[in-house]
Amino acid sequence: MQKRQNAFILMTIPALALFFIFHTFPVLQGIFYSFTDWKGYGDWNFVGFKNYLNVFQDGRALSAYGFTFQFSIVSTILVNIFSLVVAMGLNAKIKFQKTLRAVYFMPNILGILIVGYIFNFIFAHFIPDIAESLGINALSKNILGDPDLAWVGIVIMAVWQAVAFNTILYLAGLVTISDDLYEAASIDGAGPWKKFWAITFPLIAPFFTINMVLAMKNFLMVFDHIIALTGGGPGQSTESISLLIYRGGFEGGEFAYQSANAVIYFIVIVIISVFQIRVLQKREVEM
Amino acid sequence: MKKNNGKILTSLFSLAVGATLLTGCGGGDAGGEGGDVQLELFSNKSENMETYEGLIAEFEEQNPTIDIELNAPPEAETVLKSRLTKNDMPDLMAIGGNATYGDLAEAGIFKDFSGSDYLEQIQPAYIDMINKLVGEETEGTYGIPYATNANTVIYNKDKLEELGLEVPKTWDEFVNALEEAKAAGEIPVQFTLKDAWTGMISWNSVAANIQPDNFAAKKSAGEASFQEHYSEVADKMLTLVEYGHDDNFGVGYSDGNTAFGNGEGVFYFQGNWAIPEIKKANPDINLGVFPMPVTNNPEENKLVSGVDVLFAMSTETEHEEEARKFIEFLLEQEKAKQYIDEQAAFSAVKGVLQEDPVMEGIKQNFEEGTITSFPDHYYPAGMQAANLIQAFLIEKNKDEFLKKLDNEWDKVENR
Repeated sequence: MQKRQNAFILMTIPALALFFIFHTFPVLQGIFYSFTDWKGYGDWNFVGFKNYLNVFQDGRALSAYGFTFQFSIVSTILVNIFSLVVAMGLNAKIKFQKTLRAVYFMPNILGILIVGYIFNFIFAHFIPDIAESLGINALSKNILGDPDLAWVGIVIMAVWQAVAFNTILYLAGLVTISDDLYEAASIDGAGPWKKFWAITFPLIAPFFTINMVLAMKNFLMVFDHIIALTGGGPGQSTESISLLIYRGGFEGGEFAYQSANAVIYFIVIVIISVFQIRVLQKREVEM
Repeated sequence: MKKNNGKILTSLFSLAVGATLLTGCGGGDAGGEGGDVQLELFSNKSENMETYEGLIAEFEEQNPTIDIELNAPPEAETVLKSRLTKNDMPDLMAIGGNATYGDLAEAGIFKDFSGSDYLEQIQPAYIDMINKLVGEETEGTYGIPYATNANTVIYNKDKLEELGLEVPKTWDEFVNALEEAKAAGEIPVQFTLKDAWTGMISWNSVAANIQPDNFAAKKSAGEASFQEHYSEVADKMLTLVEYGHDDNFGVGYSDGNTAFGNGEGVFYFQGNWAIPEIKKANPDINLGVFPMPVTNNPEENKLVSGVDVLFAMSTETEHEEEARKFIEFLLEQEKAKQYIDEQAAFSAVKGVLQEDPVMEGIKQNFEEGTITSFPDHYYPAGMQAANLIQAFLIEKNKDEFLKKLDNEWDKVENR
């Protein structure tokens, strides 16, 4: 028994070491530097909690938090609705089921920057040209150029891309539900709507939890979508926190300050994820 | 001017598709026999890669023992700063003369070239320009200015002639020309403000001619402020943005180049670097350039010109001798000429002149030295002026905007 345990320990050590060197250690370094005035190079001094206090007074950081939350909440909800619908469609007995599954998974394997390039073209040329020929004035401009609408463009692209992955998770969940249940429900006279709320949705609850948590976490860290579409503009209306940390930290020589911002953000994401899991798992148990 | 910012997308896209191609170029040479010494040349521009590659090939032929690897990543300044945190500096760097150069020079990363023979070959105005970028506590010239640029108004000669207008010499004439173009149903200015940095072209022209001398130093010392000295700049920017097209904030740099090339627009606020791009869209277009006339006194209007490429050497390089050899090679008159001809740029090397007829309109400025530097190169990089200005042009809230510029500047400097 002891021997077997040793084997397990030996198997985990390499992974643990790699994780510590490439993940935990940089995190600790980041926390350390957040208490200094390091620019990313040169000399530094300890400044205590000054960076943290400044983050709370920084309007730009606050508006980045506002944008990021707005974006992630809307995207998370939309992604989960669409991927559940797509998954149920693909789970039904339809023709070309396998091919369609592959097609719907496509966006996930495309790089976000390439997708962004295509969507940029759609927003800049495709939609305005069509809208103009149809005489719809509201859509004849590039929405990425409007500070009030640019975030919608990013949501559209993010949702399009993210639905693929979450669909796969929902599909895995749907496959676990036995057909017998539906048959029994049909005999009892339940319609499709009733079947969904009484059988499908409760039974895939664990998958719903994991999809909500994963989607929310991914969207909170949104970065490449924005680089590809707007670069944070117009103005700073679509600047996410990750982008702000990167821009300020590396371009602006505010390494220590943005490290403090990153630490705060890390804590925020942990709190949200724990909260989500608690609430959603409670729901799973009740079912 | 971080020009390649505007081309991030294209660059990132090509990076994603052809990452291996990039390394392939350098790697191919690296594999050559006898490549004893490897030098890395880090460049912040994607536009001039081909020119460098041509020059490098020639240099390597003359010096078979030296192997130069060109590395021009997208968002190069950020890459450079992050490599700095890892203590992994390239041997040679070809970067712009802007705030990043100043920061890095102050941090003691670059070799000091003061008093070297190289600087004798360079026009002193540009040496002064980059010396001012380095803070007051640090003395020295940490780079060799090589190519320079001009922040201009590009115009479509045929269209201006059709409208029966002359090249404007004063602000009033300029506004009048814009007004007439609008009345004639033309697009007066092709704005590309989806890319925030393109707004800096007109901002720099306007601000350079209006702001007090040494604004940045005075601002840091608390003797000047945006609220006090930039009111007229903001007003003039608002006037200019009146003369755009329907979707000023929806068109990006590369789309704008194509549109202007296809005759959409009489004027285009861009630097000389955009000319080859416009000509790609329409090789037959008849272009001219002039410095934006910001005041009503033609004598006072200056051309904004900056150091587009300067060569800096890492203090930690192990191959100083070879790096110097390469710099000397590039500084040869013939090579400097080849560079500016291929890049439609100007040279900081004495005696090397740009003779392209398109540049006729600003030739006089270079000859007479009525040149001034880019104001934004002296703003702290962390304040991201370009995005603030983009937001201002959308919201048009002057007082709030000027106050914000002051606040952001102070905030960044206090960190």
